[in-house]
Amino acid sequence: MGELRAVTGVVQRFWAKRRAPERPEPESPPRLHVVGQDSYPDWDAVYRDNVDRVYRLMFAKVGNRPDAEDLTTEVFLTALRPLRVSASVAEVRAYLNATARTVLATHWRHTLGREITTLDDERDTVMCETPATDPGIIAQAEAILAELPERYRRVLRLRFLQACSLKEAAAELGITVGNAKVLQHRALRQAAAVAERMAT
Amino acid sequence: MSARDVRRFVKDLLRQRRPRRFAAGPEDAAELRAAIMLRAARPGGGAPTEEFVAGLYRRLAAELGGEAGPPRAGRRRFVQVTTAAAAAAALGAGADHLLTGGEQEAQPPTDRTLRPNDGQWRAIASAGELPEGGVKPFDLGTVAGFVTRSGGQLRAVSGTCTHLGCRLALDAPARRLACPCHRTTFAVDGTVLVHQLPLAPPPLPVLLVRENAGVVEVLVPPQRT
Repeated sequence: MGELRAVTGVVQRFWAKRRAPERPEPESPPRLHVVGQDSYPDWDAVYRDNVDRVYRLMFAKVGNRPDAEDLTTEVFLTALRPLRVSASVAEVRAYLNATARTVLATHWRHTLGREITTLDDERDTVMCETPATDPGIIAQAEAILAELPERYRRVLRLRFLQACSLKEAAAELGITVGNAKVLQHRALRQAAAVAERMAT
Repeated sequence: MSARDVRRFVKDLLRQRRPRRFAAGPEDAAELRAAIMLRAARPGGGAPTEEFVAGLYRRLAAELGGEAGPPRAGRRRFVQVTTAAAAAAALGAGADHLLTGGEQEAQPPTDRTLRPNDGQWRAIASAGELPEGGVKPFDLGTVAGFVTRSGGQLRAVSGTCTHLGCRLALDAPARRLACPCHRTTFAVDGTVLVHQLPLAPPPLPVLLVRENAGVVEVLVPPQRT
């Protein structure tokens, strides 16, 4: 574990220097996977077949690129070294998922002192061949937004889903930037309450 | 007083920055979770960048490559018999590649040959179906690829793009293998001809191939039943 943390530190410093600006996403063509039912020929194949999936899982759980990149890096650095390549594809995926779960839990303990999000088994298997954004998350977001008053819904949509700045959102809503800020905080708090209610 | 920390966390998320650490209280968790979920639902944000995928690949290759055992150059030479045709293809690759710009080359792999531990020789064509200069696709379940006869030598390469694993299509007139996903093309000997990626993908893995009693056979992992 100590070694793992040391590795993470190195990785974080490494990536901190090369944080890429957000770029428009290229169209994702349908992907055929390298391997069929059996096993991967080498670590290379494990990586190519799983990097996309692990990154998406992590992004969905931390919501930002720098952390998602670090955590994906950590999963592969941790998992690939002791990996038996002769294991079946399903075993390798399960092992990567288990590693991802641990890495995410450790991340939250270190950054915020409590687990904000967790990885669940059943979702992992679903996310193999998704388009750019996981439809499950979009559906979840829409369900929550639908429960909110109109103005709350609009400000969250503008800020979170449409990537508007506060200024742009304020202009769109016809209010001052200060008011937009307050509106956003209240809207988010209520969205959290709705999400909690839905989860229970 | 963590309300301010929560606000800063949300601000960082929205600006696509790494959120700063703070001691979150139990009452903060729901709000942070909602912010992450809404942010992750932004269309088109969830996929890794090409740059990240290539960078991590290089890093892993550096860390794991050293543990791959002694180089097996001797056996590689056995498979990659250099023929006049292969040399010509390699020359062509060089020229074409210049057109795609002066990007970095991927690190050359130590051995391109796929050598299954418990492989079996499987027939893919009769010798007559593969005349000099011919290219024939095959799919054996565990491995799909293309076999060619050039300069009297048989050669088989994997039919899976080394970038993200899309199935390559044979452009028979041009004697090229084209990837439908990112416009990468390979020569039938597996070398990369054209690509538009930040980093050149590795050449296609080579499969062991032989001619046995008039039948062309490839060594592949056994199909499990």
